[in-house]
Amino acid sequence: MEKVVVCYKWVLDEADVRIGDDGSVDLSRAKGKISEYDRNAIAEACDLASLLDEGEAVGVTFGASPSKASLKDALSRGLSQAYWVKGESASQADGFITATCLAEAVRCIEGANIVVCAEGASDTFARQTAPRIAALLGIPVVTSVMEAAVGDGKIIAKRRLEDCIETVEVPFPVVLGVLPEIIQAPIPGLKAIMAASKKPVTEFSADEFTDGKRPLCKVAGVKGSTVDRACVRIEEDDPKATAAAFVAALRREGVL
Amino acid sequence: MAKVLVYSDDAALAAELAAFSTSVPHEISVLTLDEDIDPALLECGAACILHAQCDGIPEAYARSLSEYIQNQGFSLFIVGATSRGRDIAAQVAGYMECGLGCDVFNLSFDGQTIAYDRSIYGGIAVSSEVIDGIGVVTVNRGTFEGTNGSVESIREITLSYDERMTLVSREARASEGVDISCAERIVGVGMGLSSQDELALAEDIAHSLSGAIGCSRGVAEERGWVPASCYIGISGKVVAPKLYLALGISGQVQHLYGVRDAKIIAAVDKNEKAPICSHADYYIVGDIREYAPLIAAELNAR
Repeated sequence: MEKVVVCYKWVLDEADVRIGDDGSVDLSRAKGKISEYDRNAIAEACDLASLLDEGEAVGVTFGASPSKASLKDALSRGLSQAYWVKGESASQADGFITATCLAEAVRCIEGANIVVCAEGASDTFARQTAPRIAALLGIPVVTSVMEAAVGDGKIIAKRRLEDCIETVEVPFPVVLGVLPEIIQAPIPGLKAIMAASKKPVTEFSADEFTDGKRPLCKVAGVKGSTVDRACVRIEEDDPKATAAAFVAALRREGVL
Repeated sequence: MAKVLVYSDDAALAAELAAFSTSVPHEISVLTLDEDIDPALLECGAACILHAQCDGIPEAYARSLSEYIQNQGFSLFIVGATSRGRDIAAQVAGYMECGLGCDVFNLSFDGQTIAYDRSIYGGIAVSSEVIDGIGVVTVNRGTFEGTNGSVESIREITLSYDERMTLVSREARASEGVDISCAERIVGVGMGLSSQDELALAEDIAHSLSGAIGCSRGVAEERGWVPASCYIGISGKVVAPKLYLALGISGQVQHLYGVRDAKIIAAVDKNEKAPICSHADYYIVGDIREYAPLIAAELNAR
C-alpha cells in the first residue's frame, strides 16, 4: 500500500483575533479550524492517492490538546486515517520543531511515498514546512505546485512561478508544497462526517520526536499591527462630484 | 567580520537586498545562479559576487548551497522572497537545522543575534523574533533601499545538482498585462464585482492610470476572471504600489496583508462597514457600476 501523507495544521481563526487599543493581541475568543490552505492540500492528497494502484491518503498534524478537534474534520475530508503528534508546547514551536515532529511521524508511516503540504498555514504563514521536512528526510521537494500527476514511481508536477510555468519530474519519495489553486476543497457531507468517527487515529508524543530540541526562532513579543490610514470618506452632493473629489484627493497625494 | 550572503533569482531584488546594513563590521556577498551576471548586481555595492553556473532547477542546488554556506562561515543568509527564493531558503535552513524568518522586516543583525519582525494572523499582528547564531531570512521587495557601488570581486564557485530533480519543461508565462509586482498603480478587484462586465470597468481605470489589475483570491481561483499571478494576499503577491485602488474588495485580513505597504489605499465599496474602509486613506461608499465610469472619466479629463 502506497501512502500519500498530508500534513495539516489546526490554527486559530484569524478573523476572531482581536487587537486591543494598547496593541495587545486577544486570542481568547478565537475558534480553531483546519488552515484553509491545508484543506486544499488534503483534497489533493486524496486525489493523488486515487491515482495510485493501491493508494491511501492519510493525515498528520502536530498540535496541543485542542488540535484533537481537527482529527474528525480531517478524516471527514477523505483521509483513511490520521496521525496526531501531540505536543502541549506546539504553540511555541517554530518551523524547525514543527518540521521535526512531522518528519518523524512520516518516518513511522510505512509506504509514505508522497508527502503533501500547503505552502503555508493561515496563522503564521511561515512557508517552510515542505522544504524543511524534505531536508530532514533527505528527499526532494517540489514547491509552488499547481498540478500534479503520478507516473511510474514518480511525480510529474507543474509549478507556477513568477515568470514561468515549470514542469518537473521527481521520483518517490517526494514532498510537495501545493498551491491552494491545485484543487477545490469540498465541504464534507454528513455521511463522510459520520464515517470519520470510525476511522483510526494514531497518537505520537512530540517530546519523543523532538528529543530535547528547542525552537531556533524565539518570539520576543507579539503586538497588533497599527493601521495608519486617513480613512477619509469622500461624499459630495452627487456621484459625479464625489468621483471628482475622490480623484482630486488622489491627485493631491501625488499618486496619479 | 560577520559574513552575510544574499541571493535572489530576481536580480533587481538581489541588488536591493545587498543594501542591507548593520552596525557591526560585515561583508556582503551576492550569489547568482544565472548564466550571465546581471548588470544590476555589478553595481550593487557588495564586496563579492559569487557566480555558480546553474543548469536545470535552481532549487536543486539548495543542499549543496547549505554545505557551502557552512563551509564558508556565513552567519546570515538573506534571500529574496520569491517562490524559488522561499523554497531555497527553507531547504537551506532545513539542511543546516537553523532558524528561518519568512518575509521579515525591521531586520537587524549584531553579529550574534538576528532580530526581525514578521506579520502573523493574516497581517493583523506582528511577531518580533530572534535567532541566536546562524540564520536565514526571506525579504520582500521594497524592504531595503538599494545603494550603488562597484562590486569588489567576482568569484566562480561550483555547486552540485540534486540529480533526482529533472526539469521537463519551462514555459514563459503568457503575457498577463502589467506585472503587478512592479506596478506603481494597481486596481484591485474583489468578489464585490457582480459580473465579469464590471471587470472591464476596472480595466478602464487601470488603463487611465497606466496601472495593472490585481485581485482578491476568490476572483482568481473561484471565478477565474483574472490570472492567478494577479492575486494579491498572504498566499499570493505582496505589493507596494504608490496607489492601490480597491473595487469591490471587502478587505479580508489575508488580502490586506498583500497591500499594507501601498503608499495610498483608496476604495470603492457599497458596504461602509467593510474592513477595506477602515484600512483605506480615501473611500467611496457606493456601487462600482456607477462610480467606476465616473472615476475613469475624471482621470481621463486631464
